[in-house]
Amino acid sequence: MKKIIYLALTAATTFLLIQSCSKSSDGGSKNTNTGSSFDRKAMLVNISSNIIIPAYTSYHDATVSLDAAVTTFNTTPTAGNLTALQNSFIAAYKQWQSTSMYNFGPAQDAGLGVNTNTYPVSVTQITANINSGTYNPLLLANLAAKGLPALDYLLFGTGADNAAILAQFTTDSKAANRKTYLAALSAELKTNATTVLAAWNGSYKTTFLNATGTDVSSSTGQLVNQLIYDYEILKNYEIGIPAGTQSMGTTFPEKVQAYYSKISLQLTELHLSAIQNLYNGATGLGLDDYLISANNTALNTRIQTQFSAAATKLQGLTDPLSANIISNPTAVTASYTELQKLTVMLKTDMTQALGIAITFGDNDGD
Amino acid sequence: MKKYLSIACALTIAASVITGCSKNDKTPTPVDPAPVYTVPTTYNFDNANFADATTRLGMYTEISTLMKNALTGTFDAAKAKAMLTNTGAPFTTAAYNTSGIQLNDQFAPAFKTDASNFIDSLAKASAAASTAASRGVAGVGASSANAASKYALTSLGVNYAQVFNKNFMGGLITYQIVTTMDNVVNQTIDNTTVVNGSTAMEHAWDLAFGYWGVPVDFPTNKTGAKLWGSYSTQVDSGFKANKILMDAFLKGRAAISAKDKPVFVAQAKIIITAMEKLTGAAALQEVKEVKESISDNMARNSRLSECYGFVNSLKYNPKKVVTDAQIAAFLALFPKTFYDLTLTDVNAIRDAVAKQYDFDSVKDIL
Repeated sequence: MKKIIYLALTAATTFLLIQSCSKSSDGGSKNTNTGSSFDRKAMLVNISSNIIIPAYTSYHDATVSLDAAVTTFNTTPTAGNLTALQNSFIAAYKQWQSTSMYNFGPAQDAGLGVNTNTYPVSVTQITANINSGTYNPLLLANLAAKGLPALDYLLFGTGADNAAILAQFTTDSKAANRKTYLAALSAELKTNATTVLAAWNGSYKTTFLNATGTDVSSSTGQLVNQLIYDYEILKNYEIGIPAGTQSMGTTFPEKVQAYYSKISLQLTELHLSAIQNLYNGATGLGLDDYLISANNTALNTRIQTQFSAAATKLQGLTDPLSANIISNPTAVTASYTELQKLTVMLKTDMTQALGIAITFGDNDGD
Repeated sequence: MKKYLSIACALTIAASVITGCSKNDKTPTPVDPAPVYTVPTTYNFDNANFADATTRLGMYTEISTLMKNALTGTFDAAKAKAMLTNTGAPFTTAAYNTSGIQLNDQFAPAFKTDASNFIDSLAKASAAASTAASRGVAGVGASSANAASKYALTSLGVNYAQVFNKNFMGGLITYQIVTTMDNVVNQTIDNTTVVNGSTAMEHAWDLAFGYWGVPVDFPTNKTGAKLWGSYSTQVDSGFKANKILMDAFLKGRAAISAKDKPVFVAQAKIIITAMEKLTGAAALQEVKEVKESISDNMARNSRLSECYGFVNSLKYNPKKVVTDAQIAAFLALFPKTFYDLTLTDVNAIRDAVAKQYDFDSVKDIL
């Protein structure tokens, strides 16, 4: 009996020594805990089922309603139908704010982001397309003449008031062409939304759930990259560039999102809240939990605080944002500053804590 | 007694494990008579001299600066061509004029004519600089995102300053590096007679390193890295060209001095493979940049010109694996007029290049 115990002791001692031996041969590659015990797949399940697919479903439904409203308006162009169409448009634009940050996989394949929301629009290009009566949706040269921003212009910017706008679709010499163009744009939005939603409801969801690593082509890698990329669009294109932060103070109020419908700030607030919701994984597992499991509770707290600080600053602004930029540029740039702080936390600190590489570049203009 | 035996046994086993462990850390006794030498971590070889390569890259920089005059309609094509042959003291840097060396005689044979044609095409865009560039109209166009970024484009939307730039990288730099490496592989350069402190092979290797355009302590230090030195860093997220090339240049040069033939031949082969792959990676990097400026007609055309330039430049590589027919097929994926580019075109270019160079898994992040 004693012998057995001693043999066991011997084995245990040897095992311990081997253990320590192999540990020392790691050569000091011991790194910070990047949450290796965290269940990334569960996070992906939560985010896809409870956030991404519902967002695409709602956005798809919104584009179906929008396209139907266009059909109704084109058939019966009345003031009432114009208002109904404008409301449908606003609903779709609002829903887009919580749909734009998944620009990988099916959305990337369809060019969903740029086809849906490239702004500022090129009124020149839109006018040329209407006048010529030809429009090729595939040409990238038409990106600034399509999508929600082009509808924003057509439905809110073609006249000083709704009566004048209605005239563009009824009595104007190009009214028929304009209606055709309107229909082409809303149909394209619907088609793209349908394509992407179908892919997520089909095989892509499995692809997404199975890419559980943290490398650049993993789902977590793509989610984090696109969350940050989309956040930078919010910060730069919705606020910064119009407020002149990249042009030494020269403002470009006309470059805001939804310039003609004047709902820019509302959209930005929804957008920020949607990005925070994604970060939090709604009420389930999200990047917040991932950071906490990687021993970065303090960073998560800072990020949450900064989301709130940025939201508070935005709440201090008013729509139309384009007018606010002119009347109170200091308040707008102060919001930008709060947003910028969050960029550093997300893009530098969070990616470092989670060991995720940023794969998109800054446009260096070379 | 038994107890002591067992403890002794345990200690013995433990000791042998410890010994085994420490033995692993010892340098094994050499079993082959390979030359003994140290591979340094920086390119600080005592007799290294790549001044001529540095001078030529400097000459290129002056041409590149001259080409910016196309934006104001004052690009002097004759002067650019004189710079290629270093005729008539064309350079601002006086030392270049008296250096006795030139760019043109280092070009791949086919690039000599092409370079001249690219310069003429840029001159045409320059001559139209007072006109705004648009589909079918040569002139100068500004980025819609940043009005300060301007591009001189032909009527087909091609920026020949960029086409020249990228083909220079292939038609001179890659051509020279690959030619040298091939000579090293085939032992057609002398590595015995010392002239001016180094053998012909050492010197040729140094020049090849110099053409890469990186500091001697690259990639720790990236200051001043230019042309391929800049691109090898830009694509590093998907293709570790910095490390592959730096390791091979250092190891190969040390091996040449130590007359370690198998090693320097192996490094030369690594560099030959890496240079072609790097060109493919750079083309994909430009695809990514095209996508990042996808709605910006002028910037997008310019970046597509960069991509086109890289793909075209593959033809000057004397040891290329890709065939001329394949290069022609890649080039055929570009629209005749760059204003007609579609997302399908961009993805087709991306997929074709990625497939050729095994970059499928990283094609969107290079």
